[in-house]
Amino acid sequence: MDTETQRKWDKAAPNFDLMAGKGAEKRWGPAKTGLFNNMEGDILFLALGTGLDIEHFPAGKTITAIDISPKMLEVAQPRVEGYDGHINAQVMDVHTLAFEDDSFDQIFTSCTFCSVPDPVAGLRSLRRVLKPGGELFMFEHTGSQYYPFKLMMNAMTILTSKIGPDMNRTTVENVEAAGYKLLEVENLFLDVVKIIKAVNPA
Amino acid sequence: MDSRLYFVLGDLGSNLLVALIAGWLSSLLIGVGWNMLIAMLVAMGLGMLVGLVLFFPLGIFFGAMEVMVPTMFSGMLSGMVVGMWAAMVPVSASQGAWAGLLCGLVGMVIIWIMNNTVRGVTSYSREG
Repeated sequence: MDTETQRKWDKAAPNFDLMAGKGAEKRWGPAKTGLFNNMEGDILFLALGTGLDIEHFPAGKTITAIDISPKMLEVAQPRVEGYDGHINAQVMDVHTLAFEDDSFDQIFTSCTFCSVPDPVAGLRSLRRVLKPGGELFMFEHTGSQYYPFKLMMNAMTILTSKIGPDMNRTTVENVEAAGYKLLEVENLFLDVVKIIKAVNPA
Repeated sequence: MDSRLYFVLGDLGSNLLVALIAGWLSSLLIGVGWNMLIAMLVAMGLGMLVGLVLFFPLGIFFGAMEVMVPTMFSGMLSGMVVGMWAAMVPVSASQGAWAGLLCGLVGMVIIWIMNNTVRGVTSYSREG
């Protein structure tokens, strides 16, 4: 378990909803709802955080959800209990998943890989538990390839990585580096906020 | 950019506010006689900092990256223009603020054009 990352997000848990629970959720809600409507079969969701994404889940699903932070999951608990379906929430590090190989039909992430310390290793770990032909759906923010945004986001990351996420991740490239086949990349805001769809090659 | 009125007004207001403050502060900080390149770089940094600091209250209401990136860009643009201007001739605080406000509007238009160019779906073949 990566205790440094765990401590960082445990510390962020009490105030996380203040920053992320209003404007960002209202802004991203429709896109997340559309993405999560793809849920089908055995589903792994990471990182559940304080459970803000749960309101966008389609009803009646059985979802295994993980997060590295027990404090985040404590805040998420009422939302987990209020879901019209079943969510099995567990504390787990994406780098060291405790699931069998080929366990899931689909994996969903939501603003996760801005924070995973070794994103390619994390994505490879996910690929191990994703069935061949299984799908990866990601709602993520990344760095930009365009100037001056690229420089700005590199500068921001020096500060933000201390208290939360990195702003300059190359998640699309990381998905490919981890061995997935890209299906679709949708830029929602500039090339910074995006939906990534990929498949675990059979 | 979001077309819902709440976010249209929020994005516009956030950018104008950050750029106005960045222009105002740049006019106070930079004086005639500053090396123009240094004035520009210092004021750009100041503008970005204003955007980053104000992101925290503004982001609560209007979102994350859609607030942070444009406001830092508008703040940087405002600082660049007012900083260089103030290095050439005396610029009053109110002139700096007004010029900053204009830069905020220009910054917003640039972001809007850029976003409409970049956003959208890229599909890849399942095979190959």
